[in-house]
Amino acid sequence: MYRTIARRLLSGSTLNGSDYTLRGFRGTVTAGSRFTTSTIPQPLSDQNPKQHVEGVNPQPNSSASSSNQSTAEEALRRERQRPRTEYQEEQASVLRASLRHVLSLGWGEEAMIAGARDVGVSPSIVGSFPRKDAALVEFFMDECLQKFIDRIDSEEELQNLVPSKRISKLVRIRLEMQAPYISKWPQALSIQAHPSNAPTSFKQRAMLVDEIWHATGDEGADIDWYVKRTVLGGIYSTTEIYMLTDSSADFRDTWAFLDNRVKDAFDLKKTIQEAKYLAEAVGAGMGSSLQGFVRRVFRE
Amino acid sequence: MAMALRLIKRNLGFNLLPLSSSASLLHSHATSFGFKEVQEEEKSQMVSNVFSSVASNYDLMNDLMSVGLHRLWKDRLVSKLSPFPGMKHLDVAGGTGDIAFRILETVNSIRSRALQDPCYDPLQEETEIYVCDINPNMLNVGRKRAIERGLGKDKSLIWVEGNAEALTFQDNSMDGYTIAFGIRNVTHIEKVLDEAHRVLKRGGRFLCLELSHVEVPVFKEWYDYYSFSIIPALGELVAGDRESYQYLVESIRRFPNQEKFASMIADAGFRKVEYENLVGGVVAIHSGLKL
Repeated sequence: MYRTIARRLLSGSTLNGSDYTLRGFRGTVTAGSRFTTSTIPQPLSDQNPKQHVEGVNPQPNSSASSSNQSTAEEALRRERQRPRTEYQEEQASVLRASLRHVLSLGWGEEAMIAGARDVGVSPSIVGSFPRKDAALVEFFMDECLQKFIDRIDSEEELQNLVPSKRISKLVRIRLEMQAPYISKWPQALSIQAHPSNAPTSFKQRAMLVDEIWHATGDEGADIDWYVKRTVLGGIYSTTEIYMLTDSSADFRDTWAFLDNRVKDAFDLKKTIQEAKYLAEAVGAGMGSSLQGFVRRVFRE
Repeated sequence: MAMALRLIKRNLGFNLLPLSSSASLLHSHATSFGFKEVQEEEKSQMVSNVFSSVASNYDLMNDLMSVGLHRLWKDRLVSKLSPFPGMKHLDVAGGTGDIAFRILETVNSIRSRALQDPCYDPLQEETEIYVCDINPNMLNVGRKRAIERGLGKDKSLIWVEGNAEALTFQDNSMDGYTIAFGIRNVTHIEKVLDEAHRVLKRGGRFLCLELSHVEVPVFKEWYDYYSFSIIPALGELVAGDRESYQYLVESIRRFPNQEKFASMIADAGFRKVEYENLVGGVVAIHSGLKL
């Protein structure tokens, strides 16, 4: 269930607002940021693909022209008919190639330019990525999540572990995916923490945490839902940050740290559970004595 | 053939005009010059006259008419383009060099930052920015300004006289194509878009900054009053040329609106066609991607 919600959220992040005219106009009044419509472009071609798919689409102004012009138009039309790689695929292939350059060039535009050169596309394409500063990090997060889900589905020993061990194993699997980029990961974190990127990165993390609970076999939807996710989010993030300064071989210290944090959380859960029982017992005792008191008052 | 004709026309100037237009009148279509209907062959000459006459006061008038905003719009265009070192860029109808200078500055600032980086690869290709304009007077303004800015010797800037409807550049040779306040003045918008699509590489981007249509209710009324009453008067007062500025505001009204123009760009084969309105649609930046 969470996965479908998560996917919907993911696709929702590409939706666009529609009140551009108003925004643009407001630009004149607030002489603030460059008189523009902020960053809400109007996607056109992607929303009504029928415009291009119908290659037979008659061209309105081509009637009277010499024969060689019409053959040129014929060629052009054929070119339009040719099944073209979707923009999203092209973007993904550029970004995938860019990941190879992250270690030397960082998570910014330079790596994406280098990546575009690798796949033989003009680096100009980078300028067309929506929110291009964060594009690479967000792409990496999505890729990791996908790989993570595939890994969970294929890993069978996970089911044999107790919940606390399973959780720390899952967090470890995910964090190991970003281990190769550890020297540049602080930059990625700072990009994600930037106010304009925070909503997306928060969403991506929420999805990840959700996926971990899902894999742990937790299907509950009570009030604990929030507590569980908050606690796990905390564990994940602190471990992620611990990892940045960990110089032990194979991040041994990080995994020990992670195990301890998960243990703490489960202890805390136990403590809370005990406190709850105690409170219930006390409440029950108080209640019955209060009941007795009231009954006595009314009897007299 | 059309191009050859245009070449001859350009070389010989006015004298040939009546002859050439009467010769081709049979196959000619009517097109718009402002609100006037004129023959297609005449439009480019008429536009050329407009720009020859306003070239000297061009910058001053732009500043006055847009209250200096045109600088911000051009900045916005270049920041959307996000230039990079080693880029091959074509700026059409950019005779005064406004866009080209901005691109060059952005590239240079990226390069100077990159030079401090030990991983920087100095073997990268040289940036080349081609400024193409049909009007030699406008190109001269740009050349003069390049020298004033100390860019006269810069190898990256290449000034080319040429027609946007029949570019002389190779197929798949450009990373970027910009046209700022130019596409309104061409005779066949579709031809210009097809040419842009032809010269761009895969992944190359087309960006167009153009005065567009305002739909915001009260602002629209004010804007219409401003364009039809104040701008021609301003043109007469400052540049001594009312006709040219009358043409300017009329040609804006004749230009297809944002949605229509975006679909024209998509029809030329561009992908991911988007537009952004600035100041409620007084200008719009359209962009497309060649894939």
